[in-house]
Amino acid sequence: MNFDYALVISRLPEVFHAMGVTLGIWIVSLIGATLLGFAVAVGRRYGPRWLDWILLAYVELFRGTPFLIQLFLLYFGGPYAGLSLDAIPAGVVGLSVYGAAYFSELFRAGFEAVPLGHVEAAQCAGFSRLQIVRRILLPEMTMLVLPSAINLAISLLKDTAIMSVITVPELTLTISALGTEFYAFVESLFLLALCYWGLTEICSGLGRLAERKLSRFRFATP
Amino acid sequence: MTAAAIVVKQLSKSFGETEVLHRIDLEIAEGAATCVIGPSGSGKSTLLRCVAFLEEANSGVIEVFGAPLGFTEDAAGRRTRLPVSKIRAVRAQLGMVFQQFNLWPHMTALGNVSEALKTVRKMPRAEAEERAMAQLRRIGLESRAGHYPSQLSGGQQQRVAIARALALEPKIMLFDEATASLDPELTGEVLAVMRSLAADGMTMVIVTHEIGFAASIGRKIAFLDKGRVLISGSPQEVFGKPRHARIDQFLDTYLDRGAAMLI
Amino acid sequence: MTPTLFGLLIKAALYTVLISGVSIVIGVTLGMGVAAARLSSRLWLTGPARAYVSFFRGVPLLVQLLLIYNLLPAVGVNVPSVVAAISGLALCTSAYQAENLRGGFTSVPRGLLESAEMVGLTPWQQLIRIRAPIAFRLTLPAIVNEAIIILKASSLVSVVGIVELTRMAQDLDTSLYKPLQLYSAAGLLYFLINRGVASFGRWIEKRMSWGRA
Repeated sequence: MNFDYALVISRLPEVFHAMGVTLGIWIVSLIGATLLGFAVAVGRRYGPRWLDWILLAYVELFRGTPFLIQLFLLYFGGPYAGLSLDAIPAGVVGLSVYGAAYFSELFRAGFEAVPLGHVEAAQCAGFSRLQIVRRILLPEMTMLVLPSAINLAISLLKDTAIMSVITVPELTLTISALGTEFYAFVESLFLLALCYWGLTEICSGLGRLAERKLSRFRFATP
Repeated sequence: MTAAAIVVKQLSKSFGETEVLHRIDLEIAEGAATCVIGPSGSGKSTLLRCVAFLEEANSGVIEVFGAPLGFTEDAAGRRTRLPVSKIRAVRAQLGMVFQQFNLWPHMTALGNVSEALKTVRKMPRAEAEERAMAQLRRIGLESRAGHYPSQLSGGQQQRVAIARALALEPKIMLFDEATASLDPELTGEVLAVMRSLAADGMTMVIVTHEIGFAASIGRKIAFLDKGRVLISGSPQEVFGKPRHARIDQFLDTYLDRGAAMLI
Repeated sequence: MTPTLFGLLIKAALYTVLISGVSIVIGVTLGMGVAAARLSSRLWLTGPARAYVSFFRGVPLLVQLLLIYNLLPAVGVNVPSVVAAISGLALCTSAYQAENLRGGFTSVPRGLLESAEMVGLTPWQQLIRIRAPIAFRLTLPAIVNEAIIILKASSLVSVVGIVELTRMAQDLDTSLYKPLQLYSAAGLLYFLINRGVASFGRWIEKRMSWGRA
């Protein structure tokens, strides 16, 4: 294995760019997935019966099929249905919709986990439904849901690697391409693995820190 | 003077900073039931668990039929831990019944009772199961042999637990609050089994809240308070008037069906 | 979607189930070993075990598959691609199963082990006769969940050339240009397989319910 440092250094900007793409897609998708997932959870809980059924079908389908298939459907099948997306937008949309299905289940569990007594007390005090959601359910739910949400976020970070198959220029695609170019495929894959390992460990650590700092907001669980 | 089955000498046990047992001296006579009673937190369960070597005391010695259990202490107070085989050998003479029954949920009643015979005593399956059935018959539960613990009432589970311990023919039976987890209607059947064991001359150490039961079955009562043996003696000595003030206080604050018997 | 096309997809789906099944079995077995290492009191076991779990859970499966697929030939181990694929899946899932099993093991009530101790079972016998069966039962829902995850994740072995369900759909698409139908059909098959596994899991749970309703 020839380790030509100068060459490697000259390509480093590409790697950082790719890492930026990965993290960028991840964060944007996370925001999309949380918002959409929350909307789905609210829709299922407070909406009409038929809406619950439709959203249930969505959740079951997107949690019950591989992410790769969903990406293929969107990127390769989309144009046939009138939806032509470039690689990066397709990646973001795909991950958001996929992640939202999982987030909606998290939020659904969160809603159920808030002690009924707290909600009833608010009802007795004359809070409207909207006020109850905003002032009681949301804050309490956030704390209950936080650990699982962090885990889900990290798993979605790893799923960004799958987008490389639909040519999104994120970390996996970029580094393995560099590896092929330098005939150092295995080494590049090790580097790739280490990158992700580092990223996920850092995120886990930040997650644990966030949980600790926010623990004073945790209400007593029954 | 009946022989001593168990001798506890100067036993002390602390959990971290809290001292739970303080220099306990106790003798358990052979062929009779000794009942250990006292308020919550007095250390009675801990004492029993130390005797069973499920907890290790910090100092003091326990002797079972003269053989030390777990540790030996020399004159200067230095403790030597005995080898595992020695500990097992001494412990094999003990049988224990727990407050939570602790039956293994993935085995039937028969399975629970015969398990140790098969696995530890290496008995062939047929023989082990025969012996186990005999034990179940003794406590009247042979019809339930094929049931899982989740299909049995609390009282039945505890009786199976007693049969499980008896299957190994221990010389001494230890009962750690055996009826405390049972609904009142179910304690009777378990106490009945314990009574019949006592009548057969089994050496028993019974930690219990059932004061009336303790007074009627125990040849000796030991009253524990804050980790020390306050009084020990025959039921008459402990409960008969004139009573120690602390016992009075204990009985007063303690609503017991059988306490009326003791006057 | 002609019957023959669907037939091809179904055959590929069976291959998916086979690959996943073997990976799950190997993964659970490996996971038990890693869980045992994690639980042991010897530092030289717990350290590497923690690193193992951290690595295989922290790196995307796709990267792990690419790594194994390319690493083995590079160090002179020449195995069929499917063996590399199964190894990759098994190693990845073993880390998750190890954590699940570890949770199951520590959830076994201590009293059950104490009563085993009192009737004379040695620590090893307690592990085999009492702790392991109960831990396994406690872990079962998580194991079934993980099995479903592996079935979906197996779609990634298409990237290293294994012709399972996803790859079959891809190959058909390159000649037929019907991505919507093909990938929808593939997705549907995955969905049905997962439902089947979930039902199977519930059936096993009932069989291991030991008398509970």
